[in-house]
Amino acid sequence: MYSAEISRKNPGCFIFLLDQSASMEDPFGGSSDRRKADELTTIINKLIHNLSIRCAKGDSIYDYFHVAVIGYGQDTVVKSAFDGPLTGKDLIPISELANNPLRIEDRVKKSDDGAGGLVEQTVKFPLWFEAKHAGGTPMSSAFKTAADIVQRWVAEHPKGFAPIVINITDGESTDGDPIPDAKALGSLGTEDGATLLFNIHLSSSAGNPIELPASDEGLPDKFSKQLYEMSSGLTPFMVARAKELGMSAGDGARGFVFNAQPTQVIQFLDIGTRPANLR
Amino acid sequence: MSDPLHPNGQAPFSVEAFSCQKAGNARTEYEDAWAIRGSDSPTRCRVAVADGATESSFSALWAALLVESFVRGRSHGPDFFDGLGAIRRLWWRKIRNRSLPWYAAEKVRRGAYAAFVGASLNAVNRGWRAVAIGDCCLFHVTGLPPDLQLLHAFPLTRSEEFGSSPFLVGSVKRSDDDPLPHVRVTEGVLAGNDTLFFASDALAAWLLRRAEKGEPAWETISLGIQTQEDFEQLVAQAREDGTRNDDMTLVRLTRRAGQGRGGD
Repeated sequence: MYSAEISRKNPGCFIFLLDQSASMEDPFGGSSDRRKADELTTIINKLIHNLSIRCAKGDSIYDYFHVAVIGYGQDTVVKSAFDGPLTGKDLIPISELANNPLRIEDRVKKSDDGAGGLVEQTVKFPLWFEAKHAGGTPMSSAFKTAADIVQRWVAEHPKGFAPIVINITDGESTDGDPIPDAKALGSLGTEDGATLLFNIHLSSSAGNPIELPASDEGLPDKFSKQLYEMSSGLTPFMVARAKELGMSAGDGARGFVFNAQPTQVIQFLDIGTRPANLR
Repeated sequence: MSDPLHPNGQAPFSVEAFSCQKAGNARTEYEDAWAIRGSDSPTRCRVAVADGATESSFSALWAALLVESFVRGRSHGPDFFDGLGAIRRLWWRKIRNRSLPWYAAEKVRRGAYAAFVGASLNAVNRGWRAVAIGDCCLFHVTGLPPDLQLLHAFPLTRSEEFGSSPFLVGSVKRSDDDPLPHVRVTEGVLAGNDTLFFASDALAAWLLRRAEKGEPAWETISLGIQTQEDFEQLVAQAREDGTRNDDMTLVRLTRRAGQGRGGD
């Protein structure tokens, strides 16, 4: 299980679900100047950024993954969160996504100069998403939409690696108990395994970030416990990779994160030799 | 493919190389590299194999530069890696003028990576010395078929040691990424008809797994591979056995009986 090769011929599938409801305008993690919507936007832009770089090869980019980004909340509807030339699209190859950001900023980044010091470099930093926050939180409907996309994907890729759905939210669903729809989503899959649902919980509560827990002990509120319950267990490869990346993941770890930026989750899938010393 | 560097039967070593790209990839996407120099020299021969990492860009170029630099140089220990600066500058010179989209430029900034094993052999005293970083392997096999024995596996000795995230040699210098602590060195002496096999990781892991199961493939890779087609059949067999789909490279170096000081 969860051993199918991911390649251009057998691509993987990521579906990101973004909570764009009004409650995401509230402060993040006890902060006075940062909203949950800002944190979500940073996370999704970094995830797409990292995924694009991971798939870059030589002069081009290999379509190891197809990606959908679905927003829920704006006008209490569930729809593609892409803007600009990608508006309205759901699953697209990573190359199409990488080549169509909303805009590309120049940012100064400090890099190792190889001699123990730092050197400033200007790097291109693309952005695909802006912060949005309006309407309710139709999380159950978002899972249904994800299930529709997954169903199409697995019909076309029955032997491929199982789809991965990553839900980024403050957890306060307004269209009923999302657990049954999450379970229905998790019941779909390929011959290689069931769909994996990971949850990234952005809370207004202050508190230490929690990554990949193996139980709901220590989770601060009912929303985090509910999201933990919905989250799939990591595969043995993912647990091993998470440890290599310095994350604290043990046996039974689930794909759940509280108030953290889990941008390394993109590294949890194997697309070939990854140097241990790659930064 | 036979090594064109040993033109006659009097050469002290017979060296042949075989390679096959990952299934589904074009030949141009092959990211291993090998180099052989001096197989017809009466004094020394140098062989190297490198495996460019899938998750880095321009890693085939980096692997090729590493093996070429090794066989053209004189170092045969960790000092080879003291000269990485020049190889890194060469890598950068070959790609710096490319116009790249943002993701490709960012990937280049992170550098290319490769596993490496290189050996130098003294044709006079039959000694060999090898240096490695990562999971490209060398196997010293002795005896005559059907009684071939693995004398030495280097740097990895068991199939479970192979993972998907080894420490590799990087094309970009970083202060927290010094390869020297990761360099492994070993040495041995070749008896008449002994063979050194050099293999990139997927093939090396399969060879060790076969040996661990009591079904060694040393005879197969000694006598059973004479052509590219033979090698492709071997690769297909390894993949059927569950070996990961990866580029595969095999270099076979055999010391000719009667060559070297005193013969055997």
